[in-house]
Amino acid sequence: MTRKGRWTWLLSVLALAAGFSLMVAAYGVAANRTKAAPMQAQKSVGTLKAVLDTVDYLDPQQAYTGQSWWAMWNVWETLLTYRHVDGPGGYKLVPGLAASLPSISANGKVYKFKLRKGIRYSNGAKLKASDFEFAIKRGFLATGQGVGFYTDIAGAAAYAAHPTAGGDISGITANNAKRTITIKMAKPRGDFLTILALLFAAPVPAGTSPAIHNGNIPATGPYRIVGYDPNRGFAMLRNRFFKPTKDIPRGNPNRVDVSLIGDANTATQRVVSGSADYSNGAIPPDRIASAKSRGKLVLRKTANTYYFWMNVNVAPFNKLKVRQAVNYAIDRKALQTLVWGGLGQPTQNILPPTYPSYRKLDLYTHNVAKARQMITAAGAKGANVTVWTREVSDALTAAQYYTSVLNSIGLDAKLTTLPRATYYTTIGKRDTKAQTGWARWLEDYPHPLDWFDVLLNGNRIVDQDNNNYAYYSNKKVNSAIESLKKAPVLTTAVNQRWAAVEKSIMQDAPWAPWSNRVFPEYFTKKMGCIHVQLLYGIDWTRLCRK
Amino acid sequence: MAEPATELSLDTAAVLAAEEHEVAIVGRSPWYLAWRRLRRNYLALFSLFVFVVILTACALAPVYAHHVAHTGPNETHVAEQVSVNGKLKDVIGGGAVYDAKSGEFTVKAVTILGPTWWHAGGKFVLGSDNLGRDVAVRMLYGGLNSLKIGIGSALICTFFAVVLALLAGFFGGWVDWIITRSFDLIWAFPVLLLAIALGSALSINGFHHFGINIDAGSLWIPTLVISYVLIPYVGRPVRGQVLSLRQKEFVEAAVGSGAGPIRIMFSDLLPNIASTVLVFFTLIIANNILTEAGLSFLGAGVRLPDPSWGNLISSGQEQIVSAPWLTLVPGIAIVLTVLSLNIFGDGLRDALDPRAKVRIEH
Repeated sequence: MTRKGRWTWLLSVLALAAGFSLMVAAYGVAANRTKAAPMQAQKSVGTLKAVLDTVDYLDPQQAYTGQSWWAMWNVWETLLTYRHVDGPGGYKLVPGLAASLPSISANGKVYKFKLRKGIRYSNGAKLKASDFEFAIKRGFLATGQGVGFYTDIAGAAAYAAHPTAGGDISGITANNAKRTITIKMAKPRGDFLTILALLFAAPVPAGTSPAIHNGNIPATGPYRIVGYDPNRGFAMLRNRFFKPTKDIPRGNPNRVDVSLIGDANTATQRVVSGSADYSNGAIPPDRIASAKSRGKLVLRKTANTYYFWMNVNVAPFNKLKVRQAVNYAIDRKALQTLVWGGLGQPTQNILPPTYPSYRKLDLYTHNVAKARQMITAAGAKGANVTVWTREVSDALTAAQYYTSVLNSIGLDAKLTTLPRATYYTTIGKRDTKAQTGWARWLEDYPHPLDWFDVLLNGNRIVDQDNNNYAYYSNKKVNSAIESLKKAPVLTTAVNQRWAAVEKSIMQDAPWAPWSNRVFPEYFTKKMGCIHVQLLYGIDWTRLCRK
Repeated sequence: MAEPATELSLDTAAVLAAEEHEVAIVGRSPWYLAWRRLRRNYLALFSLFVFVVILTACALAPVYAHHVAHTGPNETHVAEQVSVNGKLKDVIGGGAVYDAKSGEFTVKAVTILGPTWWHAGGKFVLGSDNLGRDVAVRMLYGGLNSLKIGIGSALICTFFAVVLALLAGFFGGWVDWIITRSFDLIWAFPVLLLAIALGSALSINGFHHFGINIDAGSLWIPTLVISYVLIPYVGRPVRGQVLSLRQKEFVEAAVGSGAGPIRIMFSDLLPNIASTVLVFFTLIIANNILTEAGLSFLGAGVRLPDPSWGNLISSGQEQIVSAPWLTLVPGIAIVLTVLSLNIFGDGLRDALDPRAKVRIEH
């Protein structure tokens, strides 16, 4: 090649390289523009100011309210978790601390997990595979509210009988070097993966005492909790050791300041005045319309059932006719207006309509005269009844109406109110012999077992912290639930069987279900992208300002 | 010429006598003189009249409920309509509407029936509350409960305070020490906080000790709690008065004549402190009504759904924007009752003993 030719070749290569670089750069700029354009309309959240009415605890092995979990599911990760997406996709289980979904043995009794590499707590300490077993043990040691979910793990029942810090649950083996966890079940459970996704099973550092630690246990999620004051609130700051995954985002807010305000009017006013961005507290029914015009009202549909339970072991509710009469007497439609300004659907079902097993029941048409006759026929006229409820405005309203209805059909009803902190433990104590009262259930995980097994399986009645407030136990129903527990997939046939179980229970009428509530979530008009996660409510990690 | 008569003149008896027939009144009892002074205090008499009207109205609550409003205090009328001036109105109306096709809700305000002012045949005269109950009926029953507690606790409190004060003041020594230290112990707690603590504790399970059985929802609980926490507030000043009377000659004379302690306390000392006790009793009713309202407002007094003025205000809070009458009406009732009792109590004090400085101090 001549000297001139070499120069020509070199210049051509350089020109091609420059042209290619320009093309790449131009594509990159164009691509960035395309992606950035919609973002220009949204501003970073910075500090999100939220109002909750209350939290019970901010300790993963103790907390058992929707409000606590709303905050905590972005603080403590579990082996498996749920997707940060709107709609039914939010029910899909995805790996959390686990690198992937587990392998499950053919008999459904052995689950094998492997943790993601390099996970650290918010204090910088490494997450160990053995921390999972420690968390389950801590739940038993602390008599946490969710320990009942884990008693089917092999050796858990024996451990629960004599829990000690040095004890072992034989069904859980962990290899810290290999980051593996193996869980062996005493008997298969169709809903076990969803149970592992509950915050009760969130690993915590070994050595954390069983005493309640509100917010100050090192976190594995994108945020950590600081400054909890039961009368004021707490804050959530970024966990600098957190590494986002495909399914667990880093989160938009740099900080979340949570105020705890029980008074519905004050909570609403905080948002109206702009001193809070968001409130998930109740909005007084007569203020909903005006609140809508002064802010952004998002109606969140979630799986819940509000009901009045009747203790089938205590007179007069030990008589079927009395329980059925109560079901006839309640004006479910009127209750929706009274209690939440119409933002609820009347129901006679235990399961909410979001479940594939749901089959609408219409057993008790509102008929007060018939109810009165049934009470007289049952010989229960004038029977003393104590209605139990908790000191929260919606529960008080519903219970006052219920008391009035019981009196109108011939019973002699009085109301007893308890502080919200002690309500469920009091009525869940067998010795209390509570006759009837208010209750609600919001799903822990999307499976019929979370309703029928937890709330109405007679085999699960315990002396304390009982969830079956009606003390309902029907041998046929119990065995049907136990049998359905083994079914891992909700096929059409399985759903039919669940629907049959539900109908049997409602014919026995231990409950008078009355509402599937829609939750009003209230934002300032400045909030932009608002996303709802079906299980955990407003997904605040994805919020942005306009 | 005699000085013009005033309520506070020290020589009132002579002045009053001069005013009337310019003849000195001889041998008239202190009670008669007090009545003479009181009946010239028109403000005090008007206050007494207001209180009696309120008391009568509340006492007639069952009659009003049965024959006028045709409903009970806790009866709900949620899905009912009332004819107001010939037009049918929902007791509770509005609310969100669900569209089954779209599965969406349209948000609408809930409307609560306002005062009908006798245009609905006596129904819902003061409107409805958020549960469709007749506010006028609940107001009267609430007043009845508040007054029962206020007067009942004043009676119990005054009785025990006077007995303890007489024992402490008369016997002195270790008896006085024990009683006054007990007063101090109760006094050391802020009165409302102590009442809330006791009221909350007893309102869950009631009181079932020493053969006494009081159910959780009973009015006896706030009555006894209020009585208990206020005993020192009456007992201490009365004890002071007994201590001073104990040194008087008539007591020494009684002792000298061989009278026993019981007779001296109840025949000689008690009549001499009766005017103070009477004034205290009047003032403490007002004070107890306020304490009851505070307790019920905070959920430690009368239990829902039974009404009291305090819990009516508390329940009406949430609707303060859309239905302000729910808080205003019981609030005005409390103000009127307490004001009338306080003004009457002050008038009574001036009439019985113009130099006395009887007041409830917290």
